[in-house]
Amino acid sequence: MPKHTHEIRDPIHVFVRLDNPERDVLNSKPFQRLRHIHQLALAYLVYPGATHKRFEHSLGVMELASRVFDVITNPNNVSDEIRNRLEPLGKADSDALRYWRRVLRMAALCHDIGHLPFSHASEDLLPEGWDHEQVTRDIIASKEMRQIWENMTPPLRQEDIIKLAVGPKKAKDFQFSDWEAILSEIIVGDAFGVDRMDYLLRDSYHLGVAYGKFDHYRLIDTLQILPAPSPGEENQHAGEPTLGVDEGGIQSSEALIIARYFMYSQVYFHPVRRIYDIHLKDFLKDWLPGGLFPTDIGDFLLITDNEVTASLRQAAFDDGQPGHSHARRIVRREHFKRLYERNPNDVEINPEAGRAIFNALTQEFGAELFRHDRYAQKGGPPDFPVRMRDGRIVPSLAVSEVLNNVPVVSVDYVFAQREIFDQAEKWLKKNRNTIIKPQKEEDDNG
Amino acid sequence: MDRLKRAALMTRLLENLRDKRSWCGETHAQKAIFFAQDLMRVPLEFEFILYKHGPFSFDLRDELTSLRADGLIRLVPRWPYGPTIMPTELAKKLQNNYQRTLRLYEDKLAFLADKLGAKGVADLERLATALFVTVRQKVGESSEKRAAKLSEIKPHISYDQALEAIRKVDQMLDEVH
Repeated sequence: MPKHTHEIRDPIHVFVRLDNPERDVLNSKPFQRLRHIHQLALAYLVYPGATHKRFEHSLGVMELASRVFDVITNPNNVSDEIRNRLEPLGKADSDALRYWRRVLRMAALCHDIGHLPFSHASEDLLPEGWDHEQVTRDIIASKEMRQIWENMTPPLRQEDIIKLAVGPKKAKDFQFSDWEAILSEIIVGDAFGVDRMDYLLRDSYHLGVAYGKFDHYRLIDTLQILPAPSPGEENQHAGEPTLGVDEGGIQSSEALIIARYFMYSQVYFHPVRRIYDIHLKDFLKDWLPGGLFPTDIGDFLLITDNEVTASLRQAAFDDGQPGHSHARRIVRREHFKRLYERNPNDVEINPEAGRAIFNALTQEFGAELFRHDRYAQKGGPPDFPVRMRDGRIVPSLAVSEVLNNVPVVSVDYVFAQREIFDQAEKWLKKNRNTIIKPQKEEDDNG
Repeated sequence: MDRLKRAALMTRLLENLRDKRSWCGETHAQKAIFFAQDLMRVPLEFEFILYKHGPFSFDLRDELTSLRADGLIRLVPRWPYGPTIMPTELAKKLQNNYQRTLRLYEDKLAFLADKLGAKGVADLERLATALFVTVRQKVGESSEKRAAKLSEIKPHISYDQALEAIRKVDQMLDEVH
């Protein structure tokens, strides 16, 4: 008898099960390419275990997406208000619900399919107006993938998969119904997106750090679609349905947000990891024709981390190769050192202190000797609806001290070449206070 | 626009809204800043789409988070309605560095606070979506057509509510221009 379900072992979710069309996606050229895209770019140079790839993460996101879907569409978890508002929930077990479950799983599977080599590290190296989500959209709409969607019963609309895979932030040309917005929230949502859930758990596991772990079983079990409470207005629901939790899920939500905070501050924004990403980008600018990745899907799919790594190693030991000095910094571990790091005192004086210091250093010593890295956490505060035991729906930030006090992670580093480091450090110590003092607008010539 | 200059304008607008007794949660900030851009032509340069409660900007959401990281605003929770956004003393210091820009837009920010400060989320959603339909979508000049469009985009807004919102927005446009 032919098999209709296929199991894949996974260290985080034990088994990930796929049906035949999902296996077709797995076997496709774009998806197989993800076996060669590191989840965390060059983080393995700092955390040697960080060699996992986008491939297994994508499977994990699919697995979690359907777990969330099954919980939030369970008739016992859906209020009449929500059932009336979201058409596919009107009839439990309807064809519509089955259709959207399949779309959701496919979208989850494909959500990272357009990632560039070394993931986010090379994100800027696409032509103006492009990002990896745009490439994802093009791949989902490509001939090879379209055949899979069209051969399914019922066929899946590629537009539906695209919308859920990249979400409203990156699919600005599409209008999202409330239902579609909820489903895309399951994958890419700020609060309970399973993309984030999976990468926190998976990265944590591979890196050997405990920070990213949280009780995702409990959290998923308590998820519900709830009407967003209307801030400042008693007894009035503004009404837009969104993902929330019942009161019993507050602690596991807190654990998720704390896990995110620690993973960002300890892993993702680790200064050595960040400077390796910058050196990699410098190398790619020299190595790629025109300094940019191709956007033609056929050409795009030919380049993975493997091709880049091989060239990086060659270039590191041959000063005639493009990008030699940048490659050497990575391969021989001669990365720039952290000279300046954001701190609360400086931020009080000038929130863009790092930029001011970087500009002053490059003016004094030369632009090639320094790199600036500024990045702040994206997304909003962890504000989502909570259904209390007495039936009231209140914002999470009104009920959780913890959520209110989780800091926002923001980095502002200046790195210096090793040879100039001591000299630059002395100079900075002497001039720092003057450099970071903000200029009043009236003092400008403009 | 330079990030800190923009932060000075945003925090001043939030202060003005609070002075007019706005709850000043994220939705209030989103809609007020949308009005600042699309009605008052204050060049804050956020990209808005139709999403949560009408016009919504993911860039603006990210920037509000950055302002929190920089200590320029903070969220003050109030049981049981959720947080309000409060500009800090640091924001005042920052504004002090951008007096020229603030003077340039002061009247516009005050006008917006007057018009929007007392409004709740539901009102703001209707008005902001009405403005979006009016200035960004080629629906035509007829109030009825724009109201129908608004109601189509946000089915929980009735045609009558939509028409009222369109008329209020037209009135504001007249006042401004």
